[in-house]
Amino acid sequence: MAVEMSMPILVVDDYKTMVRIIRNLLKQIGFENVDEASDGQEAFEKIKKQSYGLVISDWNMEPMTGYELLKKVRADDSVRSTPFIMVTAESKTENVVAAKKAGVNNYIVKPFNAATLKAKMAAVLGDF
Amino acid sequence: MPAAEVANRVRESLATLRQSDLKDAQIMDVLKLAHQLTDTMQIFFSSLDQSICNEFSYIADYIARTRSEIAHLRPNDIKEQRIPTAGKELEAVVTDTERATESIMQEAENILCAEAEDMDSYKAMVDDAMLRIIEACSFQDLTGQRVSKVVGSLNHVEKRVTRFARVMGVHDASADEDELVEKERANKLHLNGPAVGGPETTQEEIDRMLADDFGGDAGGGNEDPGSGLDQNDIDALFD
Repeated sequence: MAVEMSMPILVVDDYKTMVRIIRNLLKQIGFENVDEASDGQEAFEKIKKQSYGLVISDWNMEPMTGYELLKKVRADDSVRSTPFIMVTAESKTENVVAAKKAGVNNYIVKPFNAATLKAKMAAVLGDF
Repeated sequence: MPAAEVANRVRESLATLRQSDLKDAQIMDVLKLAHQLTDTMQIFFSSLDQSICNEFSYIADYIARTRSEIAHLRPNDIKEQRIPTAGKELEAVVTDTERATESIMQEAENILCAEAEDMDSYKAMVDDAMLRIIEACSFQDLTGQRVSKVVGSLNHVEKRVTRFARVMGVHDASADEDELVEKERANKLHLNGPAVGGPETTQEEIDRMLADDFGGDAGGGNEDPGSGLDQNDIDALFD
């Protein structure tokens, strides 16, 4: 199934510059419908209100981390199938294993480039 | 009253009694015994006095040494100068970095959004933007110097504290309640922070880990996270 390029994508990061970087990269890839949240709690409220084609989330945020957001999304029947990519500087094996167990669709370690983001999005959403 | 003085007074009283016209032999025996007892007690109390004196002397020396070491630690300098200055330097690093990132990002966005119909004006615009990006990169020189100062301060504090701990024979106490709660939360949520010297697990290793058993909960595509990946998805992970 072709990827809908106008689908809404939620970028979750407490660092505004990183949100801006990801927003720009997504724009270059062809996705312009980008929403943002600054922590897991705000993101979850948005996810409950609106359906997103993809969530791209940082891990280390306060008060709710991206890991907690992932588990909360996967535990909620109404939103549990939302594709979820973790983009984080947390690069320990235990983090990847924990994210995988929690149901992450892909995992990108910072710093990353547009090609990596595009490849991982394609792996999750299908080619576009 | 010191033990020696007490003994002297008892001895004087005994001598006075002995000089009086006592005829009873038994009382004389009691006086003799009391005299011997007084001599013995004087030796005992004198040694006790000396040992207490030695203890207090040791404690006084220890306090003096501690005060001297604390003075060497220069806690007021650390508290009022080193730490606040380091904090201000780090705040300035954050501000400088943010400002530079904002400038660079803005210029890059301007270039990306620019219309390239007239190549001459487009090239001039790009050249100007690139020059501003290069100028913005000068933040690295300043932040580098600021961070060096902070590192210097930390090394200074570390040396003083290490010396103090070594001289005073200080052992670490257990962490306080807040610290334990914070540590437990970090462990539970796997909050490790960025690794020094680049990612601990590379993107390639992460891709392999995810691909190795993506048949589990990690899911893929728009499918239910409980289902597995198809071959195309797995192949895509190796591209």
